[in-house]
Amino acid sequence: MNATLTIAALTIKEAVRRRLLLAFVAITVVIVGLSAWGFDRLSHTNSLTSGESNLAVPQALILFMFMFSFVLALSASAIASPSISSEVESGVLMTIVTRPVRRTEVVLGKWLGLATLLAGYAAGVCALEFAVVRWASGFLPPNPLLAGVYLFAEGALLLTLALLLSTRVPMIAAGVIGIAAFGAGWLAGVVGTLGTAFNIAALRTVGRVGRLLLPTDGLWRAAIYYLQPPSLIAQHLDEGGRGDPFYAQGAPSSSYLLWVMCWFLLVLIAAIVSFERREL
Amino acid sequence: MSRTNSAEQTAIDAQQRSAANGPVGLSETPRSSSENRSPQAATSPAIHAIGLSKRFGDTIAVNALSMTVERGEVFGFLGPNGAGKTTVVKLLLGLARPTGGEALVLGAPLGDREARRQIGYLPELFRYQPLLTAREVLRLHCRLLAVPKAMWEEEGREALKTVGLLERRDDRVGTFSKGMQQRLGLGVALLGNPTLVMLDEPTSALDPVGRHDVREIIRGLRERGSTVFLNTHLLEEAEHVCDRVAVIDRGKAVATGSLDELLRRQGRVRLKVEGLGPSWWSGLSRFGRWHREHGWTVVEGIDPSRIAELVAELVSLGGQIEAVIPEHQSLEARFLELLGER
Repeated sequence: MNATLTIAALTIKEAVRRRLLLAFVAITVVIVGLSAWGFDRLSHTNSLTSGESNLAVPQALILFMFMFSFVLALSASAIASPSISSEVESGVLMTIVTRPVRRTEVVLGKWLGLATLLAGYAAGVCALEFAVVRWASGFLPPNPLLAGVYLFAEGALLLTLALLLSTRVPMIAAGVIGIAAFGAGWLAGVVGTLGTAFNIAALRTVGRVGRLLLPTDGLWRAAIYYLQPPSLIAQHLDEGGRGDPFYAQGAPSSSYLLWVMCWFLLVLIAAIVSFERREL
Repeated sequence: MSRTNSAEQTAIDAQQRSAANGPVGLSETPRSSSENRSPQAATSPAIHAIGLSKRFGDTIAVNALSMTVERGEVFGFLGPNGAGKTTVVKLLLGLARPTGGEALVLGAPLGDREARRQIGYLPELFRYQPLLTAREVLRLHCRLLAVPKAMWEEEGREALKTVGLLERRDDRVGTFSKGMQQRLGLGVALLGNPTLVMLDEPTSALDPVGRHDVREIIRGLRERGSTVFLNTHLLEEAEHVCDRVAVIDRGKAVATGSLDELLRRQGRVRLKVEGLGPSWWSGLSRFGRWHREHGWTVVEGIDPSRIAELVAELVSLGGQIEAVIPEHQSLEARFLELLGER
């Protein structure tokens, strides 16, 4: 456990000293600033009624949060994909694993450190963005905490996948595969939504299978659900707008969440076993 | 050479040194985590391998290697590039799995976690976290070694002082030259008073001063009773500091023994003798291979203990001895000879 915490602390320290993290923070602050201006314009424009404005602001927030979920996924993949592979290539890990440290502790320490960074980023982004929306329009999502948790969980899943890939494939390949998988997962979710809207069984199946194979889109939908005010849900139900990829009809089922937990554990265990078996 | 082929092994004073195993020399830092040693480990050889093998597909990297490294000795592991030296080190450290044979390191199976606590390792190709300072790197390894926190500063300071990096302790490793990184690596390998120090090409990036310093460090380790496994292709290095060496080629040990044993076996003597007829010279063959060279007679492959016998015989036959110059074969010459024999 001590070694796990040591590796986690080391991972955080190194990441904090990298400029990459600073760049992510800087970009985020700029985007949040721009969104503040946008939300202010949207909620004070004369061309919308207050009712329309009350619907437009949450929808715009969901779009912004979608962008942040992409940044989060990109960050997760960018920081996890080199975490083991590039350290094996450079020889950094040779000096660690020859100490009285289990390889399991190395993988868990890396995961814990990176997940902490990701959680910090997700918390920071959500707090800033929700504060900005509240300040500009007075709107606050019905459950900002759960929305943030699901946003983080989405990134954490991709982080775990990238870490698994990092135990075997080079950094760039792991990063590209991670991002591509995230994109494919989201697309499968959109296809599934269209399948539901137009009642096409095959497309629905694509969506369902996609959310099982890589649950990032399922978790993004969960985040959306907790970002939507009741008025938005009611409007979608009225309009039968089930083909909207930025709309979630319900909260995730407990069986789905159980599957997500299993998926996470299986991938993490696979990462541990893969690194344990790897010859350095 | 293998334990079964012990004719080439020496019974040198390693066991005596191992009996006197104690913390003297290099640093006065009290023993910390490495004090926790099992009785089994204390009496077993530092390294004992029997038929150790490693295949990568069709390539045999290590071929039934057998060797014993006694406690307290400086053991040179010599071989040309690609001979399989680093693979052997990786097998002994549990970084790779053998495909055949078995080995014990400090009396424990390969990769044993407790044994690793007592091993300091300087890899051949390595890098430390470039964004950390030298002091932070040492603190990190103290933590991983479970050295008590109160001793981190002292241990780190002592290690940096030993490798000549004390002045740079607060500089980031990324700013270090390759040679400085190698020095830092050596400092890290010395943390926690290791029982066994495995150095894989420790001077490959060092200048002559650095090489001299490394030799002094190795001697200091020997004085305090640590075993040093020195993996190198630099024969001069081995000649300076090793008690025993193994020469490895294509994954197989071709010779093992003390340097004296290895070189003495192939003695050479240069003679200037007058007053003997040509018919006699054929009698030299029983002492070794001989040839004439610019008025000198050179006898190669002679057992050094028989030189006096040779001289006595020449005198008894009426020869006038003007000069007898015993010559030691250089390690390089012997090394090339051993590789050529394969």
